[in-house]
Amino acid sequence: MASDDFAATRDVPSDGWFGAASELKDSGYDFFDWLSAYDDSDAGLAVVTRVWSVGDRRGVMLRTRVARDGGSLPTLTSLWGGAAWHERETAEMFGIYFVDHPDPRPLLLPDGFDGHPLRKEFVLASRVAKEWPGAKEPGESVAGRKRPPGVPAAGAWGP
Amino acid sequence: MAADVTIEWGHIFRLRVLDVGLACCAVEFAAAAARGDDMAAVAARPFAPEPREANVMVISGTVTDKLAPHVKRLYDEMPPDSYVMSFGSCANCGGPYWDSYSVTKGVDQMIPVDIYVPGCPPRPEALLAGLAQLNERIG
Repeated sequence: MASDDFAATRDVPSDGWFGAASELKDSGYDFFDWLSAYDDSDAGLAVVTRVWSVGDRRGVMLRTRVARDGGSLPTLTSLWGGAAWHERETAEMFGIYFVDHPDPRPLLLPDGFDGHPLRKEFVLASRVAKEWPGAKEPGESVAGRKRPPGVPAAGAWGP
Repeated sequence: MAADVTIEWGHIFRLRVLDVGLACCAVEFAAAAARGDDMAAVAARPFAPEPREANVMVISGTVTDKLAPHVKRLYDEMPPDSYVMSFGSCANCGGPYWDSYSVTKGVDQMIPVDIYVPGCPPRPEALLAGLAQLNERIG
Protein backbone atom coordinates (compact mmCIF):
# COMPACT_ATOMS: atom_id res chain seq x y z
CA MET A 1 0.00 0.00 0.00
CA ALA A 2 2.97 2.28 0.41
CA SER A 3 3.31 4.52 -2.57
CA ASP A 4 6.10 6.68 -3.85
CA ASP A 5 3.56 9.19 -5.08
CA PHE A 6 3.95 12.27 -2.93
CA ALA A 7 0.22 12.98 -3.00
CA ALA A 8 -1.04 9.42 -2.77
CA THR A 9 -4.63 9.28 -1.53
CA ARG A 10 -6.36 6.25 -0.23
CA ASP A 11 -10.16 6.13 0.00
CA VAL A 12 -11.73 3.99 2.67
CA PRO A 13 -15.31 3.50 3.89
CA SER A 14 -16.04 5.23 7.18
CA ASP A 15 -16.22 1.95 9.10
CA GLY A 16 -12.69 1.17 7.92
CA TRP A 17 -11.33 4.58 8.95
CA PHE A 18 -9.63 3.59 12.16
CA GLY A 19 -8.41 0.26 10.77
CA ALA A 20 -6.80 1.91 7.75
CA ALA A 21 -5.22 4.60 9.93
CA SER A 22 -3.94 2.00 12.34
CA GLU A 23 -2.43 0.08 9.45
CA LEU A 24 -0.67 3.23 8.25
CA LYS A 25 0.70 3.83 11.72
CA ASP A 26 2.03 0.27 11.89
CA SER A 27 3.65 0.57 8.47
CA GLY A 28 5.81 3.49 9.52
CA TYR A 29 3.65 6.58 9.14
CA ASP A 30 4.61 7.87 12.53
CA PHE A 31 4.03 11.59 12.09
CA PHE A 32 0.56 13.14 12.02
CA ASP A 33 0.43 16.03 9.55
CA TRP A 34 -3.18 17.27 9.47
CA LEU A 35 -6.83 16.28 9.43
CA SER A 36 -9.68 18.27 7.99
CA ALA A 37 -12.85 17.91 5.96
CA TYR A 38 -14.68 19.41 3.01
CA ASP A 39 -18.30 19.69 2.09
CA ASP A 40 -18.94 17.50 -0.95
CA SER A 41 -22.61 18.51 -1.25
CA ASP A 42 -24.83 15.50 -1.99
CA ALA A 43 -21.95 13.06 -1.57
CA GLY A 44 -21.74 14.00 2.11
CA LEU A 45 -18.79 15.31 4.05
CA ALA A 46 -15.33 14.10 3.10
CA VAL A 47 -12.79 13.77 5.89
CA VAL A 48 -9.14 13.76 4.89
CA THR A 49 -6.04 13.20 6.94
CA ARG A 50 -2.41 13.19 5.95
CA VAL A 51 0.27 11.32 7.77
CA TRP A 52 3.97 11.25 7.16
CA SER A 53 6.71 8.72 7.52
CA VAL A 54 9.73 10.48 8.95
CA GLY A 55 12.09 7.61 8.15
CA ASP A 56 10.96 7.12 4.55
CA ARG A 57 10.26 10.81 3.93
CA ARG A 58 6.91 9.90 2.41
CA GLY A 59 3.35 10.97 3.08
CA VAL A 60 -0.05 9.52 2.36
CA MET A 61 -3.56 10.90 2.53
CA LEU A 62 -6.48 8.93 3.83
CA ARG A 63 -10.00 9.95 2.87
CA THR A 64 -13.46 8.82 3.85
CA ARG A 65 -17.00 10.14 3.63
CA VAL A 66 -19.59 10.53 6.35
CA ALA A 67 -23.26 11.44 6.26
CA ARG A 68 -24.23 15.11 6.40
CA ASP A 69 -26.53 14.49 9.33
CA GLY A 70 -25.16 12.74 12.37
CA GLY A 71 -21.93 11.72 10.68
CA SER A 72 -19.39 10.25 13.05
CA LEU A 73 -15.94 8.72 12.97
CA PRO A 74 -13.74 7.09 15.57
CA THR A 75 -11.04 9.39 16.86
CA LEU A 76 -7.44 8.86 15.74
CA THR A 77 -6.00 10.38 18.91
CA SER A 78 -5.00 6.98 20.27
CA LEU A 79 -2.73 6.58 17.20
CA TRP A 80 -1.44 10.14 16.87
CA GLY A 81 -1.98 12.55 19.75
CA GLY A 82 -1.63 15.46 17.33
CA ALA A 83 -4.99 14.59 15.80
CA ALA A 84 -6.81 15.93 18.86
CA TRP A 85 -6.88 19.62 17.92
CA HIS A 86 -7.58 18.88 14.24
CA GLU A 87 -10.53 16.68 15.14
CA ARG A 88 -11.91 19.31 17.49
CA GLU A 89 -11.75 21.91 14.75
CA THR A 90 -13.25 19.58 12.16
CA ALA A 91 -16.03 18.65 14.57
CA GLU A 92 -17.15 22.24 15.16
CA MET A 93 -16.64 23.45 11.60
CA PHE A 94 -18.48 20.58 9.89
CA GLY A 95 -20.65 18.96 12.56
CA ILE A 96 -18.89 15.62 12.55
CA TYR A 97 -18.80 13.72 15.81
CA PHE A 98 -15.51 12.03 16.73
CA VAL A 99 -16.34 9.07 18.94
CA ASP A 100 -14.24 8.67 22.10
CA HIS A 101 -12.37 11.93 21.59
CA PRO A 102 -10.59 12.68 24.90
CA ASP A 103 -11.50 16.40 24.88
CA PRO A 104 -14.42 17.14 22.53
CA ARG A 105 -14.84 20.85 23.38
CA PRO A 106 -15.02 23.37 20.53
CA LEU A 107 -11.56 24.66 19.66
CA LEU A 108 -11.92 27.96 17.82
CA LEU A 109 -15.55 29.04 17.81
CA PRO A 110 -16.87 31.18 20.66
CA ASP A 111 -19.16 29.61 23.23
CA GLY A 112 -22.72 29.26 22.10
CA PHE A 113 -21.92 29.52 18.38
CA ASP A 114 -24.81 28.16 16.35
CA GLY A 115 -24.10 26.11 13.24
CA HIS A 116 -21.11 24.68 11.40
CA PRO A 117 -19.57 27.51 9.39
CA LEU A 118 -17.55 25.52 6.84
CA ARG A 119 -20.60 23.69 5.56
CA LYS A 120 -21.93 25.02 2.29
CA GLU A 121 -25.42 25.57 3.65
CA PHE A 122 -24.09 27.88 6.38
CA VAL A 123 -25.48 31.32 5.65
CA LEU A 124 -23.10 34.26 5.77
CA ALA A 125 -25.54 36.81 7.15
CA SER A 126 -23.34 39.76 6.21
CA ARG A 127 -23.56 38.78 2.54
CA VAL A 128 -27.32 38.62 2.73
CA ALA A 129 -27.43 42.16 4.09
CA LYS A 130 -24.81 43.52 1.70
CA GLU A 131 -23.87 42.12 -1.68
CA TRP A 132 -20.44 40.56 -1.97
CA PRO A 133 -18.39 43.19 -3.81
CA GLY A 134 -15.82 40.83 -5.27
CA ALA A 135 -15.53 39.05 -8.60
CA LYS A 136 -13.95 35.73 -9.50
CA GLU A 137 -12.51 37.02 -12.76
CA PRO A 138 -11.10 40.43 -13.68
CA GLY A 139 -13.73 42.52 -15.42
CA GLU A 140 -16.57 40.30 -14.32
CA SER A 141 -19.69 42.40 -14.09
CA VAL A 142 -21.53 42.65 -10.84
CA ALA A 143 -24.91 42.77 -12.57
CA GLY A 144 -24.65 39.47 -14.42
CA ARG A 145 -23.16 37.56 -11.55
CA LYS A 146 -24.68 34.55 -9.89
CA ARG A 147 -25.28 34.52 -6.18
CA PRO A 148 -22.02 34.58 -4.24
CA PRO A 149 -21.09 31.50 -2.20
CA GLY A 150 -22.82 31.40 1.14
CA VAL A 151 -25.95 33.23 0.07
CA PRO A 152 -29.20 31.30 -0.39
CA ALA A 153 -31.73 32.02 -3.12
CA ALA A 154 -34.05 34.93 -2.53
CA GLY A 155 -36.79 33.98 -0.11
CA ALA A 156 -35.03 30.80 0.99
CA TRP A 157 -33.69 32.34 4.16
CA GLY A 158 -34.50 35.16 6.51
CA PRO A 159 -37.49 37.47 6.78
CA MET B 1 15.17 74.13 36.12
CA ALA B 2 12.19 76.36 35.54
CA ALA B 3 8.82 75.03 36.54
CA ASP B 4 7.37 75.23 33.03
CA VAL B 5 10.26 73.21 31.63
CA THR B 6 9.77 70.59 34.31
CA ILE B 7 6.07 70.38 33.58
CA GLU B 8 6.80 70.16 29.88
CA TRP B 9 9.28 67.37 30.50
CA GLY B 10 6.66 65.50 32.48
CA HIS B 11 4.34 65.69 29.51
CA ILE B 12 6.78 64.58 26.85
CA PHE B 13 5.51 61.03 26.82
CA ARG B 14 1.97 61.81 27.50
CA LEU B 15 0.61 59.06 25.26
CA ARG B 16 1.53 55.77 26.84
CA VAL B 17 0.49 53.31 24.20
CA LEU B 18 -0.79 49.82 24.86
CA ASP B 19 -0.28 47.90 21.64
CA VAL B 20 -3.01 45.34 21.07
CA GLY B 21 -1.41 43.78 18.01
CA LEU B 22 -3.69 41.09 16.64
CA ALA B 23 -2.75 40.67 12.99
CA CYS B 24 -0.58 42.06 10.20
CA CYS B 25 -1.34 45.70 11.13
CA ALA B 26 0.76 45.04 14.23
CA VAL B 27 3.80 44.84 11.92
CA GLU B 28 3.12 48.39 10.78
CA PHE B 29 2.73 49.43 14.38
CA ALA B 30 6.09 47.84 15.16
CA ALA B 31 7.67 49.59 12.17
CA ALA B 32 6.50 52.92 13.53
CA ALA B 33 7.41 52.10 17.10
CA ALA B 34 10.93 51.11 16.07
CA ARG B 35 11.51 54.76 15.14
CA GLY B 36 11.69 56.01 18.69
CA ASP B 37 12.34 59.60 17.58
CA ASP B 38 9.20 59.64 15.47
CA MET B 39 7.13 58.33 18.34
CA ALA B 40 8.66 60.89 20.68
CA ALA B 41 7.81 63.61 18.16
CA VAL B 42 4.14 62.85 18.69
CA ALA B 43 4.72 62.51 22.46
CA ALA B 44 4.05 58.79 22.44
CA ARG B 45 5.80 55.93 24.10
CA PRO B 46 4.88 52.50 22.71
CA PHE B 47 4.62 49.11 24.38
CA ALA B 48 3.16 49.90 27.79
CA PRO B 49 3.92 46.89 29.97
CA GLU B 50 0.37 46.53 31.22
CA PRO B 51 -3.02 48.14 30.66
CA ARG B 52 -3.07 50.22 33.83
CA GLU B 53 0.17 51.94 32.85
CA ALA B 54 -1.24 53.01 29.49
CA ASN B 55 -3.59 55.77 28.46
CA VAL B 56 -3.97 54.95 24.77
CA MET B 57 -4.92 51.59 23.38
CA VAL B 58 -4.04 50.93 19.75
CA ILE B 59 -5.92 47.97 18.37
CA SER B 60 -4.01 46.88 15.28
CA GLY B 61 -5.47 43.82 13.66
CA THR B 62 -8.43 41.54 13.30
CA VAL B 63 -10.70 41.11 16.30
CA THR B 64 -12.67 37.89 16.35
CA ASP B 65 -15.81 37.26 18.36
CA LYS B 66 -13.89 34.82 20.51
CA LEU B 67 -11.12 37.32 21.19
CA ALA B 68 -13.39 40.33 21.66
CA PRO B 69 -14.10 39.80 25.39
CA HIS B 70 -10.36 39.79 26.07
CA VAL B 71 -9.87 43.09 24.23
CA LYS B 72 -12.74 44.49 26.27
CA ARG B 73 -11.05 43.29 29.44
CA LEU B 74 -7.82 45.10 28.51
CA TYR B 75 -9.85 48.26 27.95
CA ASP B 76 -11.55 47.87 31.31
CA GLU B 77 -8.18 47.51 33.03
CA MET B 78 -6.94 50.81 31.65
CA PRO B 79 -7.42 54.05 33.60
CA PRO B 80 -10.94 55.43 33.13
CA ASP B 81 -9.96 58.45 30.99
CA SER B 82 -8.05 56.43 28.39
CA TYR B 83 -8.23 56.74 24.62
CA VAL B 84 -8.73 54.09 21.97
CA MET B 85 -7.31 54.10 18.45
CA SER B 86 -8.67 51.63 15.93
CA PHE B 87 -5.79 51.01 13.54
CA GLY B 88 -6.55 49.47 10.14
CA SER B 89 -9.57 48.20 8.29
CA CYS B 90 -10.13 45.08 10.38
CA ALA B 91 -10.35 46.92 13.67
CA ASN B 92 -12.43 49.64 12.01
CA CYS B 93 -15.10 47.51 10.40
CA GLY B 94 -13.97 43.91 9.91
CA GLY B 95 -11.97 44.84 6.80
CA PRO B 96 -11.63 42.11 4.17
CA TYR B 97 -13.26 39.72 6.64
CA TRP B 98 -16.48 41.75 6.84
CA ASP B 99 -18.54 38.71 5.82
CA SER B 100 -16.81 36.15 8.03
CA TYR B 101 -18.69 34.10 10.59
CA SER B 102 -16.08 34.82 13.25
CA VAL B 103 -14.76 38.36 12.79
CA THR B 104 -16.11 41.25 14.85
CA LYS B 105 -17.35 43.96 12.49
CA GLY B 106 -15.43 46.75 14.09
CA VAL B 107 -13.98 47.06 17.57
CA ASP B 108 -16.29 50.05 18.18
CA GLN B 109 -19.10 47.56 18.67
CA MET B 110 -17.84 46.93 22.18
CA ILE B 111 -15.56 49.80 23.20
CA PRO B 112 -15.69 53.52 22.36
CA VAL B 113 -13.12 54.50 19.72
CA ASP B 114 -11.61 57.98 19.71
CA ILE B 115 -9.75 57.84 16.43
CA TYR B 116 -9.87 55.60 13.37
CA VAL B 117 -6.89 55.09 11.08
CA PRO B 118 -7.95 53.68 7.69
CA GLY B 119 -5.83 51.39 5.55
CA CYS B 120 -5.14 47.74 4.90
CA PRO B 121 -2.69 48.04 6.44
CA PRO B 122 -2.10 51.74 7.15
CA ARG B 123 1.49 52.86 6.70
CA PRO B 124 3.57 53.53 9.82
CA GLU B 125 3.28 57.26 9.07
CA ALA B 126 -0.48 56.90 9.41
CA LEU B 127 -0.06 55.70 12.97
CA LEU B 128 2.08 58.72 13.75
CA ALA B 129 -0.45 61.02 12.08
CA GLY B 130 -3.22 59.42 14.11
CA LEU B 131 -1.31 59.86 17.36
CA ALA B 132 -0.56 63.46 16.43
CA GLN B 133 -4.25 64.10 15.82
CA LEU B 134 -5.10 62.49 19.10
CA ASN B 135 -2.60 64.78 20.79
CA GLU B 136 -4.20 67.82 19.19
CA ARG B 137 -7.59 66.70 20.34
CA ILE B 138 -6.40 66.18 23.90
CA GLY B 139 -5.06 69.72 23.68
